[in-house]
Amino acid sequence: MRATKSIARTFTLIVSVCTVLIFSVAIGSFYHRSRVALEQEVANNAAHLVLASINRVETTLHAIGKVAEDTSRSLEIAGYHDQSLTTLLKETLLDNRDIHGFGAAFDLNPAFNPPHPVVPYYFRQGERLVFAPEGNFQHLSQDWYQIPKELGQMAWSEPSFDKASGTILMTSCSVPIFSDNGREKQVRGVVVADVSLEWLTELVASIRVLDTGYSFLLSRNGTFLTHPDRDLIMNETIFSLAESRHKPDLREIGRKMVLGESGFVAYTNIHDVSTLMYYAPVPSTGWTLAVVFPEAELYADVRNLTLVVAGIALAGILLLTAAVYWVARRVTAPLGALAEATEAIASGHFDTELPAVKSSDEVGKLTLAFTAMTGALKKYIRNLTETTAAKERIQSELKMATDIQASLLPQLFPAFPDRPEFDIHAAMDPAKEVGGDFYDFFFIDPTNLCFLMADVADKGVPAALYMMVAKILLKTEGQRLGEPEQILSRVNEILAADNDSCMFTTVFCAILNTENGEVRFANAGHNAPVLISGGQANFLSIRAGFVLGPIAETVYTAERITLEPGDVLFLYTDGITEAKSRSEELYGEERLLQTLQAASRQELAEMIRTVRAEVFRHADGAPQSDDVTMLAIKYRGMAARNP
Amino acid sequence: MDIQIAKEEKTHILTLSGKLDGVTAPVYEQQVMALLEADPCSLIIDFASLDYISSAGLRALLATAKRIKLKGAQFHCANVTGTVREIFDISGFSSILRMHDSVAGALAAIG
Amino acid sequence: MPLVPSNFIIANRHMRRREHAITGNRRLAMWIGLAVPLVLFWLCLAHARAEGLAKVRLMPLWSPQAQFAGYYMAREKGIYARYGLDVDILEGGPGRSPLQSLISGEVDFAVLWLATALQQNDDGLKLVNLAQIIQRSSLMLVAKKASGIAGPADLQGRKVGLWAGELSLPVLAFLERYHLHVQRISQAYTVNLFLRGGIDAASAMWYNEYHTILNAGINPDELQVFSLHEHGISFPEDGLYALEQGYRKDPARARAFAQASLEGWRYAFAHPEETLEVVLRRMREAKVPASRSHQQWMLARMRDLIMPADATETLGRLQLAGFQAAGTILHNHGVIKDIPDYATFTGDADAGH
Repeated sequence: MRATKSIARTFTLIVSVCTVLIFSVAIGSFYHRSRVALEQEVANNAAHLVLASINRVETTLHAIGKVAEDTSRSLEIAGYHDQSLTTLLKETLLDNRDIHGFGAAFDLNPAFNPPHPVVPYYFRQGERLVFAPEGNFQHLSQDWYQIPKELGQMAWSEPSFDKASGTILMTSCSVPIFSDNGREKQVRGVVVADVSLEWLTELVASIRVLDTGYSFLLSRNGTFLTHPDRDLIMNETIFSLAESRHKPDLREIGRKMVLGESGFVAYTNIHDVSTLMYYAPVPSTGWTLAVVFPEAELYADVRNLTLVVAGIALAGILLLTAAVYWVARRVTAPLGALAEATEAIASGHFDTELPAVKSSDEVGKLTLAFTAMTGALKKYIRNLTETTAAKERIQSELKMATDIQASLLPQLFPAFPDRPEFDIHAAMDPAKEVGGDFYDFFFIDPTNLCFLMADVADKGVPAALYMMVAKILLKTEGQRLGEPEQILSRVNEILAADNDSCMFTTVFCAILNTENGEVRFANAGHNAPVLISGGQANFLSIRAGFVLGPIAETVYTAERITLEPGDVLFLYTDGITEAKSRSEELYGEERLLQTLQAASRQELAEMIRTVRAEVFRHADGAPQSDDVTMLAIKYRGMAARNP
Repeated sequence: MDIQIAKEEKTHILTLSGKLDGVTAPVYEQQVMALLEADPCSLIIDFASLDYISSAGLRALLATAKRIKLKGAQFHCANVTGTVREIFDISGFSSILRMHDSVAGALAAIG
Repeated sequence: MPLVPSNFIIANRHMRRREHAITGNRRLAMWIGLAVPLVLFWLCLAHARAEGLAKVRLMPLWSPQAQFAGYYMAREKGIYARYGLDVDILEGGPGRSPLQSLISGEVDFAVLWLATALQQNDDGLKLVNLAQIIQRSSLMLVAKKASGIAGPADLQGRKVGLWAGELSLPVLAFLERYHLHVQRISQAYTVNLFLRGGIDAASAMWYNEYHTILNAGINPDELQVFSLHEHGISFPEDGLYALEQGYRKDPARARAFAQASLEGWRYAFAHPEETLEVVLRRMREAKVPASRSHQQWMLARMRDLIMPADATETLGRLQLAGFQAAGTILHNHGVIKDIPDYATFTGDADAGH
């Protein structure tokens, strides 16, 4: 059960992970590219925005600078003095509404012939122009005078709040007035234009940067001239801010700004908001205008879109996971059930129900196959059981048949105690498989004893049945006819009549005349018996003769020998000579002769026991493949009757 | 036991090798009977490679002879030697079956 | 912030004289205008005396900034009150002179430079040093390394910014020491001339202009700094002063004021964050540009300059050596004729400390 669950899980997991990976890469890539593209867009827009604004500022400031410069040139060229000077200043101020106050300040050195007042100055008050000269010579050590003087060029001052209200941001543009000494140019004075920066702060404040973006303006020293946080204005420089908020990166950006660079930079501001900042210098004054785009707002759309896409993807993945899992389970659950059922069957419960076939897919096929297999298995086992039972039954019946067979042969010895003129002994050891060897002996009449040995062809039940028939026929015909060749002929005829199966038996049939020891015999394909006479054992030389049974026309010939008292005739079947040892060596005729020779003086019973023992010793445990059958007959002579 | 079947001049030539006993006789019998049904003509069995024959084998040969006789053909044995010859002699089969020293001789006898 | 240049003070005097030359009616009005508050003041004083707090007024050297944090905190945390004083701290800065306010009686105490006090003493206006707040000189010359100035000798012939009045004297002494002849450019209240490159070296206070320069974007490693005290010129600077006659009237009160002020400084250094808040608040009230980081720097430097550096110094005590060194330089430059007596100058003679 665990195994099938984990297949479903593993499969689902792999599919999910792969899908998540693919989507992550895709969405991540899309988001990143969008951001990059957007950033580029923003950079361009920011540049345009800033530069456009700077342009507007610059236009005004440049114009003012030009006015101051032109005035300065005028003062250099023409000899404006006192009244004409003040008039010039007044007129210039009238013409330039952007200028708040306009004046000139002169060095006190008499060589320069300074005018009176030394600092003529006009400023606007509503619609009027107010003349407010200064005569305290403070100008000499003030920035707006000293800087252009020492630098020898136009200078815009650091903005400051006006003295009157302290709320209006002002700056001055001062241009040096040179006097040509002939040797070198010297600064003899400065033209100064005071400018209110209200319009500037309004302009910069009006720069729209998204919703939460903003702009700020820095002076040449980095002082905040405008900023959404009003506390910073004129109080802090970008550097003091960097110092107090511990932001060294801000200081670096500030240094670049103060150097008059422009740039586009990513920056985390003092409120820990990630922003993109574009800054550029105002050329005339060296101020810096910067616009700040909060990244979050900037990328909000992209991010939202990505989130939506990601959300859809996630939902899709979840659905996919569920579906995959469901399908996997659908496949593996039947497998699990199948496995369980199979286990049950394997443990012997053949009637275990296999899970019902719900689908025609591979799992369904598998289930059907399993069902078929189970059915076949059941049938096979049933057959096997039956067959085994049948076989065992047959085995036991065959055993019984063998026993019956064996018991049919004369087994009572001594067989004729009251006939001392001869002795007869026989033994038959059946092989495992029921066979067809037999012997028989019976009196035809008081003088003639018929004795025979036979070996039915093949083994098994056919042989056993044939043996029964042959034995009975031989006995009945034997008792009736009395001559061996006749007996064989007659029995052969009878047997050949219904012999489609070509069964046959070898028979050695002999009749002993107990009065004179004459033995008349006929042979139907049986092996020659051994004659033990005078301590010598030799095979009797006999005619072969065809086996009994197959051919009705077979002719049998009688032969005769005469036994001397003490002679033994030893009949046997090939079960003895063909007994195999473990090394497949046959017992053989030679050994039989040797054994019989050695046992020649033994009594028949003992002799037969000896031969049997020898044969079994030779076999040495090898399975007995054929019946071991022997019959020995000894002629003692009539003299034995009357001792 | 191995049975090689050959055909020469409208005569089957079977070469038996190994043993013809209770186990192999049914196999032999089945093959030969099928052969004779399919193509009834004279048969020569070459016993040169046969090591042993049991009573079951003899029985099979008898059946073979009977069937061939029914078909009106001839049955010959060639190269019956050794132990097999002894068994043939003892059982009297030597005198019942037509025996030859060689297959060629048997073929010649069929004519 | 540097001390108000003396020519400004002179100008101020001019202005004041011009004011005096106004019509008689206005004069009468002025007298009445002066009398009423005086009566009120006496009433308040009496009231205060009845309560146990003496009302006094202090004007610091310049506009509100951390340079005067100690006094703000002494008032804020009731330290003055504990010493039995109700101190009103006026605003200094452009247009106001602590010296003039002291002279006119507008204030009882003022924060002045030692050089200023010595000069006034020489002029006949006797001042008593109640406490020397800044023990050592924080004056320095700052130059940009990029302009090729690495040592004093490199200043030869260059433009050097000098403040007006006695504030330039230590720098002049420095220039003399190294036998430097420079173009002397007068420097106002800003460092913009220096930042713009108009002068090669600027006068700066360590606790003020130096940091302003840093806060304009120049890194310390880009500056070549000559700390005058490292070159053997050390002028004690800010100190607490009273008119001698004012002091004699109530030396205990003056001493108490000095002690309370010093304790105020100790408190300020122990509680910098709180002090910063108070200073910034005062600056905003006075509409003075207030940069938190700048005030933070200033307060830290004040600590370095005010607290004794070693066992030889005592908080608030004018060191004889410094006093004499300053006096010698002023004398050598012809600013003063005589160096006053140390004991008298510090009020030791009177108080017997």
